[in-house]
Amino acid sequence: MATATEVKKRTVRINGCVASAQAAKYADVDVIAAYPIRPYTATMMALAQMVANGELDAEYIVADSEHSQLSISHGASSSGARVFTGSSGVGVQFAYELYSPISGSRMPVQMMIADRTLDPPGDFGSEHTDALSTRDMGWLMGWACDAQEAFDNHLMAYRIGEDPRVLLPQMVCQDGFFVSHITSDVELPDSGQVKEFLPPYKHPYPLDPRHPVSHGPQIMPEQGPPLQLERARAMEGAVAVIEEVHDEFAKIFGRRYDPWVEEYMTDDADVVFFLQGGHAVTARFAIKHMRDNGLKVGMVRLRTIRPYPTDRVNEVLSKFKVVGVIETNMGLGSVSSGGVLYGEVCAALYESQHKPLVLSFMAGMGGEAIVLDEFYWMAKKMTEAQKRGKIEKRTHWVGFEE
Amino acid sequence: MSTKGTKIPERLMIPFAGITPAPTQNGQDLFPTGNWRSIRPVYRDKLPPCNNACGTNEKIQGYLDLVKRGKYLDAYALIKEDMPFPSVTGRVCYHPCEQACNRGKYDEAISIRAVERFLGDLGQALTRDVVKPGAPNGKKVAVVGSGPAGHSAAYQLARLGYKVTILEKSPKAGGLNRGGIPDWVLPQNVLDREIERLVELGITIKTNVEVGKDVSWDDLKKNYDAVVLAVGLTEPNSARAEGENKQGVLFGLPFLRDIGMGTSKVKVGARVAVIGGGNTAIDCAREALRQGAVEVTMITVEAHPQEMPASPEDLHDMKEEGVELMHGKAMTAVLGDGKVKALQLHPAKFSGAINASPINIDREAPAERFAVDNVIIAVGQHASLAWLPQEFKTERGTIKIDRFGRLGDTNFFAAGDIVQLGAGQPLMVVNAVGDGKRVAFNLDKVMRGVTLEPRTIPVDVIFDLNRMNMTYFPHFPRVQQTLLPPKSRRKTQQEVIQAFTEEQAVEEAGRCFSCGTCNACDNCYLVCPEPCIVRDVRSNGLYKILVDYCKGCRVCIEECPTGCLEGVPELDFDTGVVRMDTAFAVSPGLHGRQAEELRNLGDRAPKNI
Amino acid sequence: MPAIEVERQILPILGSPNQGARFYNPDLPSSEPFVPGHRTCAGCGPSIQYRMTSKAAGDNTILVGPTGCMYVANSSYLCTPYNVPWAHTQIGSAGSFTAGVAAAYEAMIRKGKWKGAFPNIICEAGDGSASDIGLASISGALYRNHDCLIICYDNEQYANTGIQASSRTPYGGMTTFSPPGPMVPEAKTLFPKDLARMMAAGHPHCYVATASVGYPIDLMNKVRKGLNHKGAAYLMIYTPCQKGFVYETPRSIDLGRLVVECGLYPIWEWNPEKREYDYSFRPQNMRPVSEYLKLQGRFGHLHAEHIAKLQTFANQQWKMMGIELPEALIQAADAKNLVNMATASAAEAVAQTL
Repeated sequence: MATATEVKKRTVRINGCVASAQAAKYADVDVIAAYPIRPYTATMMALAQMVANGELDAEYIVADSEHSQLSISHGASSSGARVFTGSSGVGVQFAYELYSPISGSRMPVQMMIADRTLDPPGDFGSEHTDALSTRDMGWLMGWACDAQEAFDNHLMAYRIGEDPRVLLPQMVCQDGFFVSHITSDVELPDSGQVKEFLPPYKHPYPLDPRHPVSHGPQIMPEQGPPLQLERARAMEGAVAVIEEVHDEFAKIFGRRYDPWVEEYMTDDADVVFFLQGGHAVTARFAIKHMRDNGLKVGMVRLRTIRPYPTDRVNEVLSKFKVVGVIETNMGLGSVSSGGVLYGEVCAALYESQHKPLVLSFMAGMGGEAIVLDEFYWMAKKMTEAQKRGKIEKRTHWVGFEE
Repeated sequence: MSTKGTKIPERLMIPFAGITPAPTQNGQDLFPTGNWRSIRPVYRDKLPPCNNACGTNEKIQGYLDLVKRGKYLDAYALIKEDMPFPSVTGRVCYHPCEQACNRGKYDEAISIRAVERFLGDLGQALTRDVVKPGAPNGKKVAVVGSGPAGHSAAYQLARLGYKVTILEKSPKAGGLNRGGIPDWVLPQNVLDREIERLVELGITIKTNVEVGKDVSWDDLKKNYDAVVLAVGLTEPNSARAEGENKQGVLFGLPFLRDIGMGTSKVKVGARVAVIGGGNTAIDCAREALRQGAVEVTMITVEAHPQEMPASPEDLHDMKEEGVELMHGKAMTAVLGDGKVKALQLHPAKFSGAINASPINIDREAPAERFAVDNVIIAVGQHASLAWLPQEFKTERGTIKIDRFGRLGDTNFFAAGDIVQLGAGQPLMVVNAVGDGKRVAFNLDKVMRGVTLEPRTIPVDVIFDLNRMNMTYFPHFPRVQQTLLPPKSRRKTQQEVIQAFTEEQAVEEAGRCFSCGTCNACDNCYLVCPEPCIVRDVRSNGLYKILVDYCKGCRVCIEECPTGCLEGVPELDFDTGVVRMDTAFAVSPGLHGRQAEELRNLGDRAPKNI
Repeated sequence: MPAIEVERQILPILGSPNQGARFYNPDLPSSEPFVPGHRTCAGCGPSIQYRMTSKAAGDNTILVGPTGCMYVANSSYLCTPYNVPWAHTQIGSAGSFTAGVAAAYEAMIRKGKWKGAFPNIICEAGDGSASDIGLASISGALYRNHDCLIICYDNEQYANTGIQASSRTPYGGMTTFSPPGPMVPEAKTLFPKDLARMMAAGHPHCYVATASVGYPIDLMNKVRKGLNHKGAAYLMIYTPCQKGFVYETPRSIDLGRLVVECGLYPIWEWNPEKREYDYSFRPQNMRPVSEYLKLQGRFGHLHAEHIAKLQTFANQQWKMMGIELPEALIQAADAKNLVNMATASAAEAVAQTL
């Protein structure tokens, strides 16, 4: 008799990349498309070793480019295989052509992204611009803030993306270095738990010679909009599925995540940081410290940006006086002339009865750590704005201003 | 929720992710591309020149095609539709088909006769022939004469259900086939077997019955519903030389006939001359060698061998056996004291263009004396028609018939040499067979009360190689029949020309272009870009063009090796083309139907892999 | 779970259509994975090739169609002429998408997720995809040796976009990106990329061959050999484009023969076991290139010197195959012995095709 006590869980100390690789292994993926680019490479290195060791039975393909990685994934997923691929930085950009075709053909390809700054200058620190630039291509997208969450997100993303009500590809993102290369304790589940949670992938109309279909036939202009509308419906339909899956996950694995936002010390907060990914870990320390000093500060971490939880963001952020958006991405000439997250936040708040002040912080750029002092500096800017009742300027380049 | 309240109109209902089910029928109904077409390919078999040239219009291309495919029995059955005795014509025919063969213009003509003989011999070996008598219609027909024309008429009439009686004046049936062709060309047993086949068809053969002697015109009229007169030309022509009655003077056909019937008492001397330049003369010269002659000379009025009305192969084989030729001479007298000792010859030539025109003999020129022991005169035959009512005689000494072979409005018909003499056609076995066949069918029509009308359907004979695609026919040499060596064969009655082996027959048949005729080569089916040429069974003429889709590119026409496919302007058709307005319309419900199909895809039987 | 052994299909090789003197195609497979009702031009060479290829492959087949004519004109408006699974992929994804399908089936069969013989996986890439934008992806698929067949249906241009020069467009070929003019009288100045040899040289473990629609049974047999070969195979097939070459539609197959007979499209096989070229294919005739050029409007502007250049190129091809050149072809490579295309007869030929 299988009981929870018999479940063989174990805790290992691994980094985010390896956690992602472990997740792919637990998901029993069939095809892996690899191409080296730092920092996500370590995931593929780990998977290569697993395949070599016989721990995972999968076709491990060293592609000739990221474009090919995604095409391979597209082809394999279209054939009915569970697929895992990934990239970083300019690699994500090189494959750009494929993002829309994959989501358009409703193939639940999973792509792991360990963020990397785009060129120039060939820096491989984390900046979210690589993944965020593809945010409107019909992929489910969200950031993990540590290795455990990365592991969990991969499993949940497969379950959500492969749900027949959704059938969309997923980008499971983590910060390069901060998550991808820093080890932490990760609880690896029992494979029975994963089996229970994640049913085998079954696309309704794969490329199967027994039931021939044509994927992606060319269409007339007037036939395009209904296809786009269907894709939009799938993206919106994913909302309910995402919530369902997070519940299910909590039941089986015992870890409960809010699918949309993590709120940290926001109960009586006046000012909050709004961010994605690994910098949340530092933010928690900074907030604790500032709270000790009596500052009513908190953090709202966005966990899923696509589909974007507009109403939830509105509801959560309306409680505060000032929201400081930590961008970690580049949106040159964008709404805030800084990053792209600001626009997403402001748009969500537009219909709010109580509109907080919103600031955009260009921090953590080029993969630099956002140090505690910078959090304090940002908190200071926010409290100043709170006191003033209006913002001084929309965007601050942290580290370059007094 | 941006998509809340959205509704996709039915005409734009799109299957999931645009994933489209495979077409379930022969083509997609959204694009009837047939309306692009201005020229439609059609299969239209032309008449191959061989079929056209054959005296009895044997379906030569047809049986060669069957031989190619190893369907010998079918090939034999096909040949038997027009030809009662392919074993005979396979040996003796002057093969006008081979002269007409398009391959002759390309490399070498097909050895059709040899294939015919192969099939004929195959038929001979059958215990039961493939041909069956027709359902008896209760009508009695007499066929007078059992030569090629009579044989053919009797055979066809028996197949049509008539009770046929052949009346033959000789002790053995066969007529010219037996009496006019030497054993070393046509062995007696081959002919005997073909005569047996007639008996198997229920035909009664009465030998030693001569019209005019044993039966009269009125007897025939009284005792039979219809009569076919195929009495042939029985009386040898004179060379109009003095002293033809001398001992040692022989006449061609009786000479051959007596040997053929086994009643010959002739012993030829060492030196023999043959007067005449036709096929009978050649047979006589070669027979003379086999009867013991040492030196045989053929004396012709024709100035050159190529002017002789004989088949070039036979001429060649004769010369190979050692017969000498003397051209441009006419025999003006047989010299000798009661028995021939020598011939008197004068230079001579035909006054007209054809060999039948009167001969001009230059009697001013000094006579030449040519010493011989025997002379065989083979300058043609004429009929003996004393028994025939005068009204049916022509001034040529033949039977007067209408264009259908009928004697006035009687139920008498005539066929063969007796009507063809002087009519322009060579007096050859195959022509007599064709005559017999046509007369039999005409007779049948008259018996059934059908009006006889000349054929009006135009015949498209394909002569031009440009109407075919010669790319598909690499040059290949003709398969040669082996011959007995001249030295040994000239003294024996053994068959000179040897039969094809099966491999040879197939190889040679394979050279046939199938001019203008579908031979199921599958090329159109293979090259169509659509593909809109379909077939269930691979067989001649069973290809279909899906006109809803054919765009009229004409690749199939261009690539049809035989020229069977041709293009016809589309305006000539008024049906079957879907109009332009439906070509690009997204019709309501179409995608609904596809969506429906997609939903049921899982229930659809998997394709059998 | 023990891995399940993958069962591979072996397709029989078709007999020669030339049985002695007799022309009679061998009995063709009955399956028809490509059905009519598609919008390819009348006489479309790639379409002829597509039909032959899919017929040779049979029903247990998956087709991959990178962007090109065979995508746009065939799978139109949510209709499909493909009776086997077919998927569109991006023009640069020819090899990689195919590799994905092949890898998926390897894994799924091995892991018991799909039961049956390994399907024939065929990619039908145009020469734009195969020689330019998708070259690396195809090279990758060949190098990694996925069990698939990648076909370049070579119509020597980007036809779907309205006739633009690709790196397979022959010297002298007029396209909208290589028009002739006073400064560039020969139109395209570059000779084509020797794509198939490149594939053979770089991926010697693969079965590589060239074929032409002019020799259908040879083409179908090469498809089958490629599919039977365990691992990747590459086939480059000459497929004339009536729209871009400007010729009369019935000539599609004829051009397929002429291009070979003129030495402009050598037909060969690369034997991966022996690691050597097989040049045993011989066309019926050897002809000067002008016989091929004069049928096509795209060469109508050529001068004698350009034709001579093309003849020199053809002669080099013959030599590469170890075939001795007849004197006539050596003479034909000298511009002095040639006339310009724009002579009355050539102009007439072009006018007719237009």
